[in-house]
Amino acid sequence: MSFKNTTVGHPAPPPHLRVSGIHKRFGGVHALRGVDFEVARGEVMALVGDNGAGKSTLMKVLAGAHAANEGQFFIDEAPVNVTTPNDANGLGIQIVYQDLALCENLDVAANLSLGAEPVKSGWRFLPHLLRPLDDLEMEVKAKNAIDRLQVKTLQSVRAKVGGLSGGQRQAIAIARAVGADCSVVMLDEPTAALGVAQTRQVLDVVKRLRDTGHAVIYISHNMRDIFEVADRICVLRHGGNVATWRTENTTPDEIVVAMTRGLDAGANNVV
Amino acid sequence: MSSDLKLTFIDRLRILRETRFGAFVPVLLALAAIWTYFGIAVPIWDYWGDSDAESIRFIFLSSRNIYNLFMQSAVIATLAVGITVVLLLGDIDLSAAATAGVCAALLGVLVLAGVPAWIACLIVMGVGIVMGAAQGVLVAYVGIPSFVVTLAGLLGFQGLMQKILPTGNLNVGDPFIRGFARVLLPETAGWALATACVLIFAVLNLRKQGQRRQKGLELESSVAVWGQVTFFGVLMFATVATLNSYRSVPLLVVLLMAITTLVGWVTTSTPYGRSIFAVGGNQESARRVGMNVKRIRVSAFAIVGLMAAIGGIFGASRFGSVSYTAFAGGSLLLESIGAAVIGGTSLFGGRGSVWNAILGALVIGSLGNGLDLSGASAADKLMFSGAILLLAVAIDAVSRSGSTSS
Ligand SMILES: Nc1ncnc2c1ncn2[C@@H]1O[C@H](COP(=O)(O)OP(=O)(O)OP(=O)(O)O)[C@@H](O)[C@H]1O
Ligand SMILES: [Mg+2]
Repeated sequence: MSFKNTTVGHPAPPPHLRVSGIHKRFGGVHALRGVDFEVARGEVMALVGDNGAGKSTLMKVLAGAHAANEGQFFIDEAPVNVTTPNDANGLGIQIVYQDLALCENLDVAANLSLGAEPVKSGWRFLPHLLRPLDDLEMEVKAKNAIDRLQVKTLQSVRAKVGGLSGGQRQAIAIARAVGADCSVVMLDEPTAALGVAQTRQVLDVVKRLRDTGHAVIYISHNMRDIFEVADRICVLRHGGNVATWRTENTTPDEIVVAMTRGLDAGANNVV
Repeated sequence: MSSDLKLTFIDRLRILRETRFGAFVPVLLALAAIWTYFGIAVPIWDYWGDSDAESIRFIFLSSRNIYNLFMQSAVIATLAVGITVVLLLGDIDLSAAATAGVCAALLGVLVLAGVPAWIACLIVMGVGIVMGAAQGVLVAYVGIPSFVVTLAGLLGFQGLMQKILPTGNLNVGDPFIRGFARVLLPETAGWALATACVLIFAVLNLRKQGQRRQKGLELESSVAVWGQVTFFGVLMFATVATLNSYRSVPLLVVLLMAITTLVGWVTTSTPYGRSIFAVGGNQESARRVGMNVKRIRVSAFAIVGLMAAIGGIFGASRFGSVSYTAFAGGSLLLESIGAAVIGGTSLFGGRGSVWNAILGALVIGSLGNGLDLSGASAADKLMFSGAILLLAVAIDAVSRSGSTSS
């Protein structure tokens, strides 16, 4: 997929994260069949497709939660390896999973720093895994992250996630991804459980991330939201690429047709 | 006005319930019920029913009996602490008692063969770790459910213990090993230790409160903080006073507390412990944030193995002998799993604490001890234990659903 710097509107920068020829099989299920995908810094790339098209699988591959069977990864056009979540973390790739991936038995603060818990300084004679946790630091970080997202209904960062509403959980999952130091943020249907006001906030967060030079990947089934925030829209179908459009050059109807029926042979709207 | 007061009192109670000590409430209630029954109700009942009796005899609550109770519960508690760690992961270890048996038997044989006792202890602890870790590898890397792996371990290790001890019994007279259960702290040392523990506990709690204030974090209510400190202080001093009034604080109890403190600290206050809770809560999330779930699982089984070996050493020390029925073939396994569960550790992973296991072990120990004192048969004991297990889990379930809906 070549990238031509021809369209008006946002200047199209070179891709920050690019993958090509991604294949992923789950036993007999061939979920991704040679997918190409890219996202640049300072843009929101929407990823759409019917249920089961392979969107979440592609995101998990990008986040290292699944290792691809085949395919290449590039960061700023330099080839990289992403086979584990730690690889992706190290490259600054953060994700909000569709199923949120929170631990209900832990409190909000613990969930927000899960896997990257701050430890107290000193104690260098102990291996990192056995150094004392800095739980106050954890709470401070959590409070800041939550405040930034303006989740007003959340009373305490020490509340167990199991007792929170679906929307509050979603906000926490988003705060976890956004709070980390990163260059790529992927959001897999982040507004599925949110009310109108909360959805607004998430869309604002997405725009803020774009404006601060992050590369944002946004998955949703809501065309209105997509046309509001996305700079480009990539359509997947049956685990393969259909095409990628610049938002201003397409319409919701065209996208829906592409999602459900694919493109007629010959038509080519790829930017 | 009075209804206002009442409300805030309930509120305060609820706040207390949500603090670290909150999880202790159900098991403490169970313990209080058992102690009231055997300690107060049964003696009074006997006194009334028996016209010849001259005075009420509170045998159960005598300091001598409580001393024995602590000693009887120590081995169960050691195993229960280890089992709690795997329960937190959502796994189970059915082989802990058999591992303890193999380790104790090996210890006896090694000491008999002239190996210095402390070296024998270290060897046995290493063997326990290997036995646990080997099962952990089968669970984590081969993917066999822990129930099956450790059931096989239970059978296999029972056999192994019989191989090591063909006669089924071996006396252990080594003074070093007997020392764990026999050595008593001087009375003043017991008081000093208790004072030090309470002071450290208070200082840590207050310092944390101060740091919270400084960083602008929400504060624990001062009622809760002082409540915790007072509660802990009363518990410590009452224990030492009781033990001192019979003999004095046994080394075994001090060691058990020290080990539990260490395991408790590791499970609640380190990234490793956090990862155990994360895996128990949502294994897939833990994997996706980059935790090495398999290695965590193996290490947890290694910890049970180590705790089982320590339990074996403690058992050999306390009984002065190693016998098949005291470990692998007896009720130790079910009692220690029961202790962990009565303590409030969830069988589904992610919830619980090793301190609760200690209290659970006291519940099981008290029950056995009390029924023995009142001359109940083994059959009665089994049925009572079952009922208490159910009751404790029910209390926990009820209080938990109440707290989530509020
Ligand atoms: N862990 C898995 N094991 C087996 N098959 C899987 C697994 N994950 C995904 N699949 C399969 O891969 C295909 C793509 O699934 P994926 O979750 O990526 O779809 P999606 O585009 O995210 O759909 P939705 O819009 O419903 O979220 C589906 O056919 C699904 O059954
Ligand atoms: Mg999906």
